[in-house]
Amino acid sequence: MKKRVQAWWRVWLAQDFLALLTVAGLLATGLAFVYSASWRGEEIGLAGAWFSRQVWWVLYGIVAALVMTAVDYRFWLRHAWWLYLASVVLLALVLPLGTRVFGAARWLNVFGVLLQVSEFAKLALVLVLARVLGGGAIQPNSLAMVVVAGLIAVVPFVLIAAEPDLGTAAVLVPTIVVMLLAAGAPFRWLAAIALLGAGGAAAILSPLGSLILSEYQRERILTFLDPSRDPLGAGWNAIQSAIAVGSGGVGGKGFLNGTQNVLGFLPRTVAPTDFIFPVLAEEKGFVGASLLLLGFAVLLTCYIRTAWTARHPAGSLLVTGIAGLVFAHVFINIGMTIGLLPITGLPLPFVSSGGSFMLSTLAGFGLVQSVHVRRARREVNNV
Amino acid sequence: MPRRRPSKPEVNVLRLLLLWFIMMGLLGTLVYRLWNLQVAQGMEFQRRLVKQSLRSVRLPGSRGRILDARGEVLAGNRPSYCVSLHLEEFRRSGGTARTVDHVMDTLYRLAEAMDRPLELQPRDVRTHLGRRTPLPLVAWRDLDEEAVARFVEHAHQHPGTALTIESVREYPFGPLACHTLGYVGRAADDQSPQAGSEPEQFHYYLPEVAGRSGVEKRFDGVLRAADGGKIEVQVDVAGFKFDEVSRRDPGQGSDIELALDVRVQRAAEAALEGEKGAVVVMDPRNGDVLALASAPGFDPNDFVPVLASRLWNQLLGDERRPLYNRATAGEYAPGSTFKLVTLLAAMESGRVPPSTRYSCPGFLDLGRTRFRCWQHWGHGSLDAQHAIRYSCNVYLYHAALHCGAEAVQEMARACGFGQTTGVGLDFERPGLVPDNVWKRRERHDSWRDGDTCNLSIGQGALLVTPIQQAVYAAALANGGTLWRPRLVRRVVNANGQGKEIPPTRMPDGPRWSSANVRVVREGMRDAVNAPDGSGKRAAVPGVVVAAKTGTAEYGAKGSGLKLAWLVAFAPFDSPRYAVALVIEEAVSGGTTAAPQVRQLLARMFEELEGLELSRPEAVARPPATGAPGGGAA
Repeated sequence: MKKRVQAWWRVWLAQDFLALLTVAGLLATGLAFVYSASWRGEEIGLAGAWFSRQVWWVLYGIVAALVMTAVDYRFWLRHAWWLYLASVVLLALVLPLGTRVFGAARWLNVFGVLLQVSEFAKLALVLVLARVLGGGAIQPNSLAMVVVAGLIAVVPFVLIAAEPDLGTAAVLVPTIVVMLLAAGAPFRWLAAIALLGAGGAAAILSPLGSLILSEYQRERILTFLDPSRDPLGAGWNAIQSAIAVGSGGVGGKGFLNGTQNVLGFLPRTVAPTDFIFPVLAEEKGFVGASLLLLGFAVLLTCYIRTAWTARHPAGSLLVTGIAGLVFAHVFINIGMTIGLLPITGLPLPFVSSGGSFMLSTLAGFGLVQSVHVRRARREVNNV
Repeated sequence: MPRRRPSKPEVNVLRLLLLWFIMMGLLGTLVYRLWNLQVAQGMEFQRRLVKQSLRSVRLPGSRGRILDARGEVLAGNRPSYCVSLHLEEFRRSGGTARTVDHVMDTLYRLAEAMDRPLELQPRDVRTHLGRRTPLPLVAWRDLDEEAVARFVEHAHQHPGTALTIESVREYPFGPLACHTLGYVGRAADDQSPQAGSEPEQFHYYLPEVAGRSGVEKRFDGVLRAADGGKIEVQVDVAGFKFDEVSRRDPGQGSDIELALDVRVQRAAEAALEGEKGAVVVMDPRNGDVLALASAPGFDPNDFVPVLASRLWNQLLGDERRPLYNRATAGEYAPGSTFKLVTLLAAMESGRVPPSTRYSCPGFLDLGRTRFRCWQHWGHGSLDAQHAIRYSCNVYLYHAALHCGAEAVQEMARACGFGQTTGVGLDFERPGLVPDNVWKRRERHDSWRDGDTCNLSIGQGALLVTPIQQAVYAAALANGGTLWRPRLVRRVVNANGQGKEIPPTRMPDGPRWSSANVRVVREGMRDAVNAPDGSGKRAAVPGVVVAAKTGTAEYGAKGSGLKLAWLVAFAPFDSPRYAVALVIEEAVSGGTTAAPQVRQLLARMFEELEGLELSRPEAVARPPATGAPGGGAA
């Protein structure tokens, strides 16, 4: 009994405290700027609501992270296929039964709580890939790795893209590539995937693309290529976001003083979620935005270090996959707000407002910590 | 789980490192891009932000005043109390319609509280929301004290409403000197007073008035502030005002001091009471226009802030044409007043010295046409001075035929006829001095002696304006200086610095020998002061007045419509006032115009110079079929 208690404590003491600190900083930043992005919402009846919801989501997320840290990650790896199966079934259910918002069925109403199934499907996919690629069942550095991973990923990918939720679907591709890379897949096949991606992008942009993408998705991508062609339509967000970020200058305009944000040029409905970064970049300038990126860099470095020191290859792959998810979200989200990538609806991890996403991101963080506390150099007993 | 190699970790460190480098590299590109946007191009984005969220509003400056010679305010500004709504406080989510409803609801309640009819329709509110979103919406203008008090009492129940003050043009003397002052109307939105002096472009222009006629129009650029004020407001994405960023107060327009004297103007308008006609009173010493009146008139206050279309149509439809300035735009045959020009031309030509005597049997036969004198039985033999005193036609026929039509036409032009005086009021007309060229062009005929006879007594095609007559009367009074009528004496800017406008002469004045002028002046004196003079009804006791009457037919031939003229100056020895008066639909110069001028001069001498006069009894106008006065038909 005493030993068990000791082991319990050692789990918490063996955590990656730098990562913990970084995440705490990111969460605090997120709360502050969700507040900043929504405090002027009085006239549309949103003031306060965003912020208090965010507080609750962060609290739920922390609970999830703690649970994930405490439970040995191998438990989840063991049941990865079930989780994967469940997520696929739920994704399939979302299509006919999901709650529709702006024409996209992404949320499943579970006893009054709206859950975004794709967020959990991402984690399930990473778990199953970590198990398959890291399990040693497949010959490393072989085409089989790529084929198997592709086959596993294609089902949730298609289901998510069909919601339609192109942003989340798009995140899966770099995540899988990252995992394959770490798992030791052959470079030439990874290069082939990259070429395929480029070809796919070209096909999407051609008029034939309307067979694959809905009109608004195509519009967003075309608008990305030339935002000024429709400044009040689909290009509006891209232009206003660039103005917000650019006008922030070096030091920013000060907390709660972002003109674009306060005056509503950054639409109030998306400012706390997908466009939280321009709010921060406008109010805190280049300095603040760079610090935020530094935070993500530190966190990703911590994740990679955990992957490095992981005791099992599957755990290492699991962490790499989660790092890939975080990185893909950060890069695509910030890239789209500063005009590097097309606008897609994708939140910024730990910072953006959003329930399911906050929960899955912090659960992912908990998984990473779970791997970290059970790392190779320091033996930690199972709980 | 791992079955084949359970104990051997296969973490590929090199690949993880590669992964880390790729991730850091890509994050680095984000930072690089951020540097580009925020530091390198920061100013450009700042400019774009300002462009989309700042709106500038031009504030009109306060309009300068128009003062009379003694500083009485003829046109000024008064505050007008308005109730305005700040629409950003009325916005409701869920579309414009809900905001409009909310605004209308508030307006209904205010209307009830203030006991005032509602002046805005939902359509107006919608238009304002669409076009001038960040500006306050003015719901009521020009509220009286009671309405203001009632509003103040209820204002706290309606947040977003406010009492505001607008400056409104005011003419304290009402219709007095209306044609000279003119009136104002709303300026076109981007119509700055001086194009070029204000290179700024504004998003919104607050209503500003612009002069539409008279001095208000002629000196609009001086009266309006050269530089307007500016408010910069920050608007939100829906266009509502968020904050006022900066404010620059507008400049002030310059005041204009007229030569006009309210007392003279009043007397002049009294002389035209109930008539259609015009009077111009000038100072023969410098050309100052002491009064310029045209009757009937209008009240320029009716044009403020906007003239009701009903009133406008009424003014336009009025057969008596109250908007028309007869003093400068009215072209009339001068009748016998022109005989002075003819006589001076004849005398100056040297062919008809003052002592020349002609015999008047009551007519002059020229070929088969008989030109009559107004006195059918004739004046007998008389000299130049008496010809003026009695206004004998036949004498002038002879004199004109003797010196030739060209000499008369030349003298008329030298006296300022046939060209505008440059007084600076709109629609001034030049009149017409007919000559050979004119007759060939218009009538396809050559100039004949009959034309010369008609011209000599101010008939035929000859047309003059009252202001020309006043300039000419002033020249007779001062012995030959043709002053350009001076309406404005001084322009005083907002800092109190004045700029004098010096009196100027017309470029080609007449050259009269003093002997010849004396003959004419004495003739004019006799015409008033001799018991048998044609203008004796213009006599003012205690003052020696000199005058020449004139009567001319106008309108269709045989319509019997007559004009009465009188040109006068006083006092005879050192003239300070020159007067020209014309009245339409009159009997004759001697009976219609002379008494009016007497009344005018009497009042002027009493009020301006303190002359004690026994009040002249009101001279009743004789019936229309009464005795003839001055000129001939």
